[in-house]
Amino acid sequence: MGHTDRRRQRGLLVTLCAVVCAFVMLAPSTAWGLTTSKATARPNEEGGSSVIGGLPTRLTWEGTVDDGEEVTAVTLRLPEGGSFDGASTKVTVLQGLTRSELATEVAPEGPQLKVTFVDPATQGLLLRLEVEGMKFPAKGGDVVVEGTYVNQDGEKPLAASKPIATIANTPLQSLLASLDANPVVKAWNSSQFLGMFFKPQLLVTAFATLVPGWFLCLVIVLVAYPIAILLGLVFALMKISRHRVLRAIAIVYINILRGTPLFLQIYIMFFGLPMMNINIDNNVLGVIVIAINASAYLAEIFRAGIESIPPGQYEAAASLGMGHMMTMLNIILPQTVRRVMPTVTSDFITSYKDTSLLSSVGVMELMMFAKNLTSVSGNMTPYVAAAIFYLIVTLPLIKVVTTVEKRMAKSERGGGARPKVKAKDVAAAEAEQDDIALGGVVDAQ
Amino acid sequence: MSTISRRQFLQGGTLLAGALALSACGGGSGAEGNSAESTDQAATNEGSTTQEAAGGLTTVEAGKLTCISNLFFPPFESMNESTGDPEGFDIDVSKSLAEHMGLEVNWLPSQDFDTLVPTIKNGGKADIAIAGMTITDKRKEEVDMSDPYVDSNQSLVVKLDSGETASSLDSKDKTIAVQAGTTGQDWANENLTSATIKPLSTIIEALNGVQTGLYNAVVCDLPVSRYQLKTYTDLEIVEEIPTGEQYGIAVSKDNPALLAAINKALADMKDDGSMAAIESEWFGSAL
Repeated sequence: MGHTDRRRQRGLLVTLCAVVCAFVMLAPSTAWGLTTSKATARPNEEGGSSVIGGLPTRLTWEGTVDDGEEVTAVTLRLPEGGSFDGASTKVTVLQGLTRSELATEVAPEGPQLKVTFVDPATQGLLLRLEVEGMKFPAKGGDVVVEGTYVNQDGEKPLAASKPIATIANTPLQSLLASLDANPVVKAWNSSQFLGMFFKPQLLVTAFATLVPGWFLCLVIVLVAYPIAILLGLVFALMKISRHRVLRAIAIVYINILRGTPLFLQIYIMFFGLPMMNINIDNNVLGVIVIAINASAYLAEIFRAGIESIPPGQYEAAASLGMGHMMTMLNIILPQTVRRVMPTVTSDFITSYKDTSLLSSVGVMELMMFAKNLTSVSGNMTPYVAAAIFYLIVTLPLIKVVTTVEKRMAKSERGGGARPKVKAKDVAAAEAEQDDIALGGVVDAQ
Repeated sequence: MSTISRRQFLQGGTLLAGALALSACGGGSGAEGNSAESTDQAATNEGSTTQEAAGGLTTVEAGKLTCISNLFFPPFESMNESTGDPEGFDIDVSKSLAEHMGLEVNWLPSQDFDTLVPTIKNGGKADIAIAGMTITDKRKEEVDMSDPYVDSNQSLVVKLDSGETASSLDSKDKTIAVQAGTTGQDWANENLTSATIKPLSTIIEALNGVQTGLYNAVVCDLPVSRYQLKTYTDLEIVEEIPTGEQYGIAVSKDNPALLAAINKALADMKDDGSMAAIESEWFGSAL
């Protein structure tokens, strides 16, 4: 591996290096006694996947002892600015997949970390060093871990690792660091409840990182819903149709979709379709599932809405010589729209929240981001942040539904309760009385 | 109207807060454990203790060892197909542990893996999480981990004959499924930096997804993938990843006596052969 890594030079040197590497590989005498297998770092960006310099993270370095070698010590060295100070190192020695216990002594010192093996590590052993709490240089950039090892013949250089991509600190991370240091925040977090559900650092992180997931939720539901409305209308009309076959199709469609959990429908679509070699983009499939599911509920809402229009309206339309189609489009549906508006809005809220179920099949929506952040932080705060993102949309909509319902109730009362109003408050303003009188005429039709 | 719903919302929040605070209080415990000897080099500082096992232990439910886990992780834990009862290696370990500690074992319903450590940390619901959980420094910040009882490694599972390898998977258009909160997720985040990592609730969802082509690969514990591949015959392990990680049992930091008793019981189980018996039952041989 060490030889191939050398090819990672840039520019014109690439070809030259390849030649050198090939030469090195052909010449066994220059083989490393301890081959660097890998060096990686755990991403330490809160809510992100980057490795940030200057902040504690974990370096994992692996090397394999070559044939006929006995390694007694390994020293890792970071570029200038990196530090092993205060790090704790776990040394795991493996023969294949089996652990072997080797006593070790670890001495971190600035950019160097020396691991001494009390008994030498023999050929074929994989040495795995996990250094928790080390820091890469704060300026970021590609970091190569180098070092030396000691075998029976003395101290020799280690092959340089593959470069680890690191970045300099971001403004968000600096803000988090200042929160970490704030005594008020510390006191707040020491409360088990507040620290578990409302940790300020994680709230900040979550607000910054959950946004793409939130947008995806909105896009999914905003694209799915118009489709659902059209589908729902079609099935509602089919269900009240005079043709038995159309009715039967609509009943089966609506009952199956309303009678099974959305979660199950998602599983069937996401796992079932690929098995039939139908491959659709995850997000598109998410839109389809949400649209189909919502359409069944909307079909019932529309059917109830249509059926709530009094038969007098049909008779009136018929008396004007309108056909069935014309009656539906010009008389019935416009009245239905008004009546079903609040229920449809409630259903929209439900569908919006239901997008969260798509996280179970890997759609990168809001819940998925929250779950991800919770699983790396072991804290519930990201879920609270996700709840806030849902509420930003649902609370205003709930308000809209309530207002519309109130107005509708009022307008219906305006007609129905007229005599009572009159009896109670005879001295009502004249203008108002006119209004009521007018309303009465209209309602009396 | 809207003000009422807002107020109701706030009331609901306060109630929830109260309930959680109460449940958090239930987890505390005062018993002390005498440090004696450490059985393994990777052991936490609390050594093993003495005879006070049955009498001196404070548990969530008196006389019972209440266990939680994610029950979709065979062969370590799963639910019996016909009865729904928990079964598996860890379940047998928990039974044997309880027996050695003079307690009765009590299993709670399955929960997501990433909620196990927070649940144990908050206390009040369960005494231990025994879930094929690797001992890591991060977890030890939140909870105490017992002495290791199983050695494990990671594995990379792909669809049979897909030709994928660890290096081909480290690419922007590849998706890797993992179980949320696992060391498999850590490994994927650290080693497959270009790929999209999807944390899911259970390993079964991840494997199903690879089977159907939803994801390109799964990173999970090697004993689990080896066991699963007996049923998922269209998948293969392309890489056995030596990590040398070890499973431990998570115990609240507020209950050092319980941790000590568990370490003692684990050591006893190793000595009297009951651990080897459970290993050979689930893995065909002692590990």
